[in-house]
Amino acid sequence: MPDLSGSDERPLLDVAELRTTFHTPVGPLVAVDGVEWSLRRGARLGVVGESGSGKSVMSRSIMRLLPKSRVTSTGNVSFDGIDMMSLGRRELLEMWGPQLAMVFQDPLGSLNPVMKIGKQVGEGLRVHRDLSARAARSAALGLLEEVGIPEPHRRIDEYPHQLSGGMRQRIVIAIALACSPRLLIADEPTTALDVTVQAQILDLIEAQRAERNMSLVLITHDLGIVAGRTDEIIVMYAGRIVERAPTSTLFSDMRMPYTEALFRSIPKVTDDSHARLEIIGGQPPQMTDLPLGCKFAPRCKYAQDLCFAEEPALIEVPKAAPARSSISGSADDGEPDPAAGVHLYRCFYPVGTPEAAEAFERNIASGRVSEAGVVIRTDD
Amino acid sequence: MAGSGNAHLRPDALLSARDLVVEFPAAGGRTVYAISGVSLDLAEGETLGLVGESGCGKSTTGRAILQLPRPTSGTVQLAGQELTELDEDDIRKVRPRLQMIYQDPISSLNPRRRVRDIVAEPLFIALENVSRRTAMAVWQDRIGELLQNLLRRAAVPLRIVGRLASVAFVLWILSETVEERAAEGWLGWTQVPAAIIGFPTLALLLLAGAIALMLGLTWVLLAVMLPFGLMSRQFGEVSSAVGLAGVVVTTGASAFMLWRTWSSFGGWAKWLNSGGLILLTAVLAVWLLLSIAKPERAGASGVATTLSAMVVLQVFYVAGLDGGIKLAVLVASAVVDALLFRWVLRRYRANRDAEREQAEPRVREVLEYVGINPDDAMDRRPWEFSGGQAQRLSIARALVSVPQVIICDEPVSSLDVSVQAQILNLLEDLKNLMGLTLVFIAHDLAVVKNVSDRVAVMYLGKLCEVSEPDAMFDEPAHPYTELLLAAIPQPDPEAELGSGRIGGELPSPMDPPSGCRFRTRCPHAAQRCIDEEPEMREIAPGRFVACHTPLVGDSAPVRVEMASAPRGES
Repeated sequence: MPDLSGSDERPLLDVAELRTTFHTPVGPLVAVDGVEWSLRRGARLGVVGESGSGKSVMSRSIMRLLPKSRVTSTGNVSFDGIDMMSLGRRELLEMWGPQLAMVFQDPLGSLNPVMKIGKQVGEGLRVHRDLSARAARSAALGLLEEVGIPEPHRRIDEYPHQLSGGMRQRIVIAIALACSPRLLIADEPTTALDVTVQAQILDLIEAQRAERNMSLVLITHDLGIVAGRTDEIIVMYAGRIVERAPTSTLFSDMRMPYTEALFRSIPKVTDDSHARLEIIGGQPPQMTDLPLGCKFAPRCKYAQDLCFAEEPALIEVPKAAPARSSISGSADDGEPDPAAGVHLYRCFYPVGTPEAAEAFERNIASGRVSEAGVVIRTDD
Repeated sequence: MAGSGNAHLRPDALLSARDLVVEFPAAGGRTVYAISGVSLDLAEGETLGLVGESGCGKSTTGRAILQLPRPTSGTVQLAGQELTELDEDDIRKVRPRLQMIYQDPISSLNPRRRVRDIVAEPLFIALENVSRRTAMAVWQDRIGELLQNLLRRAAVPLRIVGRLASVAFVLWILSETVEERAAEGWLGWTQVPAAIIGFPTLALLLLAGAIALMLGLTWVLLAVMLPFGLMSRQFGEVSSAVGLAGVVVTTGASAFMLWRTWSSFGGWAKWLNSGGLILLTAVLAVWLLLSIAKPERAGASGVATTLSAMVVLQVFYVAGLDGGIKLAVLVASAVVDALLFRWVLRRYRANRDAEREQAEPRVREVLEYVGINPDDAMDRRPWEFSGGQAQRLSIARALVSVPQVIICDEPVSSLDVSVQAQILNLLEDLKNLMGLTLVFIAHDLAVVKNVSDRVAVMYLGKLCEVSEPDAMFDEPAHPYTELLLAAIPQPDPEAELGSGRIGGELPSPMDPPSGCRFRTRCPHAAQRCIDEEPEMREIAPGRFVACHTPLVGDSAPVRVEMASAPRGES
C-alpha cells in the first residue's frame, strides 16, 4: 500500500504552465493554455467546462496519452516528485496503473470487445504485480465484487457487450482500481449513463476513493455532479482556468461570470415547471481564432471595452472571510492544506461586485445585452 | 408500480394512445416485452414529459405512436384518426402532422446533403410525393423491393454461382482451341483476330461485373443494415439501384457464361439473335422513356433499374455479334449509355432545382424560427455545425411540415448544459408561438420538469405515475418517482447525498416480474405487490398513480395501512 499519511505537505500532483498545442492545417490550436494547479493526497478536484474547453486534453496531457505527432505539450507535471513530461514510454507504462489511472466517458469504447472481462480486469495485475493467471483471476473476482457487479463468478467469463452500460462502467472502474492507483482521473465517467446509474457510479467512485485514500480528478460539464463530491473545483474556458476555488466557496461566492452563467443555465428540480432558463448567448470561441481580450467577453453580460482589449490575469480573491472550514466531506484526515483554500478568478468585473452590477447596467443601456442577461449584439 | 389502467386518460385529447403493447422477438424464441399496455394522451398545446431509465420503453413508446414500428396491439388516435389501421401510404400522409426530433443531432442528419435539402425533405416526401408517384414508379418500386428481398436472401448463393461461372468460363476458354471455338461460330470468334478482341472484352465485362457485384452487395448490405432512421431516401434509392445494377449485371453475365458453356445454343439463342433481343430492348426502352418522362424522386430507383437492365441486354447483344462489328457496337452503346445517364441526371437536377426553389421560402422561415441564419446555413452540410446548432436544424426539419405533435426523443441529452438551456428555451418559445403539442422523452427529471405540463413516469414498459410536474416533484406519489428524484445531482454542495439511493438494475424485459414490475427494487414492496398488478388510479385531483401503496393521497385506509406497514418493517 502506498503511503497513507494524508498530512504530507507536498502535493501529489503538481501541474504548472501546462500548454498543449495541436498543429492543425489552419494553424496552431492551443487546447490547454498555461494551466496551473496542484492536488494533495486523498483530495478531490472537479474540472468543469463546456465541450472544447480543454478539460479532456488537459487530463490526457497529464497522463501523457496524447499522440506524438502534431501535438506538443510543454510545462511541468510533477507526480509525487516524478517529472511526467520527461518519462519515456517504458517508464510511463510503469506509471499507468499503479500510480495514475483513468476512467473514460464511453465504457464500451474503453473495453476490449473480444476479451473476457476477468482477463481485462486482471491484465494490469499480471503486468505490474507479476501475478499468475490464477492469482490475477481471483484478484479480478474480488475487484468485481468491490465495484458491485452482481454474480461476479458468472460475469467474469462474459464479454463487455453482454453487460449494461452501468455495469460496463463498473468494469472500467475495476480495471482502473486494479493496481491501487494513487490518482484516479475520471473523464466524464457518467455522461453516457442514466441518472440513477450515474448516482450509483459516482457513489462507487467516492467509496473506493475514500477506502484507498486515492486522489481524484473528476472531469465533467455538469456542475451538479461536482457539487457534493469534490473539495476543489477548476472551471475551464478556452483552454484556460477561469476560476478555481474550494467547492463550497465556488458555489456560495462565484466570481467568474462564466461560472455564474454555467450555473444558471442548469435546469433545477427545485425551480417551477416552465421556469425560463438563463442561457449563455453565442457560441464557444473558435479555438484557432481566439478573441484578443478575455476569451469569454463576447458571451459575457458584464463585458466592457477593457475586457475585449486585454486578457485579465488569474488573481486571488482578497481573503476577508476564508470559507475553508465549511468544506463538507473533504478527505478523511481533515488536515488543512493552505494551497487548497485559494480562490482564483480571471475577470475585471467579478460577479457580485458593484463594478459588475454597473457594467451590466451599462451593457443593457447600450443594447448589447438583454434585460435577461443574454448577449444580443456581438461587437466583433 | 408499473400498472395498467386508463383512469388518467381524458376524452378531449388531441393524441391518444391506448393500451400500447410492443413486443420484439428475441433469440431462442423468447420475447422482449418492451411496452406492456401503456396509455397516454395529450391535450392540444400540452407538453407531456416521459421519464424513466434506459430500457424502460420510453423511446419505444414514442416510436410506437409514430408507428415506427407499429405496436403489437393497442390504438393510437391523432385528432380522432386511428393510426394503427392505416396502410403505409396513408401513414405517410399523416407523418407531416406527427414529427420527431432525435437524440443525436449529428447522426440524425445526413452528412452528405445540404441543410436546405434536409430541412425541405418532409415537404416532398410526405406532402406531395404520394400523389405525384406514378403507377409506374410504384410498380417499379415494388419490383425493386421484391428483388431486393430476394437478393438479400440469395446474395451468398449468387456470389458462389457467379464465381463458379467465371471459373468455368476461363476453363472453357483455356480448354478449347481457337479453331474449335471458331468452328462453333457463335460468339463472333469465326476469326482469330476477333477471338483475340472478343476474349478481353468478355473478360473485362466479367471483371466489371464482379466489381459491380462486390460494390453492389456492399451497398445492399449497407442499405439493409443501417438503421432506417439514419438512411435518407436518396441514399436508400441510390444504394438499392447500384446494388441491383451490380447484381443484375453479374448474375446476367454469369448466367450467360454458364449457358454459353454448357449448351450449343438452340432455340433461345436463335430467338435472341433473330430479333428477340431487339424486342426486349424495345420494351425496356419504352419503360425507360416512361420513367424518364417523370423523373421525380420516387422514380429514381426505377430509372436506375431500367438503365442497368439495359446495360445487361447490351452485354448479350454485343456478345452475340460478329467480329469487328462487336467493338464498334460496344463503343457505340457505351456512348449511348453515357448520354442517357447524362440526360437522366440533368432532368433529375432540373427537377431538384425546381423543388429547391419551391421550398426555399418555407425553409428560410423555419430556419429563422430556430435561430439559424438561413443565408449562412442553407448550403452548408450538417457536420459543419456544432451539436446545438445541428439540434436546431433537426427542430427546423420537424417544424417545416407544420406538425400537430412533435415527439422529442432525448433532444438535449447529448448537449452541453449551456446549449441544453438554449434548446429548451427554444422549444418553449416555439410551443408558445406555434401552439405545438410535444411529447418530451428524457431521463433527466430536471429537464422534464422544466418543459412539461404533465409528466408520465415509466418503468419497464409500464406507467408508474402521471401528474402535473410541480406536484409530482414536490411530493412524488410513486416510490420509483421518489427514487428517481433522489438520484438527481444537485448543483449545491450542501445538498444531501446518498439518501434513498436506488439499488440494482432494471430487470430483464424478457422476464418481467409478476404483479408490480417495480417490486424487485421497491423499498415498500409487500406480498400484494407480487400477487396483484396495481391499476392506474386518481389519488388527488390530476394525479394518477399505479401503486398499491402510494406515498401521497387522501384515498385512505388502504394507503395508510399499506404504506406504513412495509416501511416500518424494512
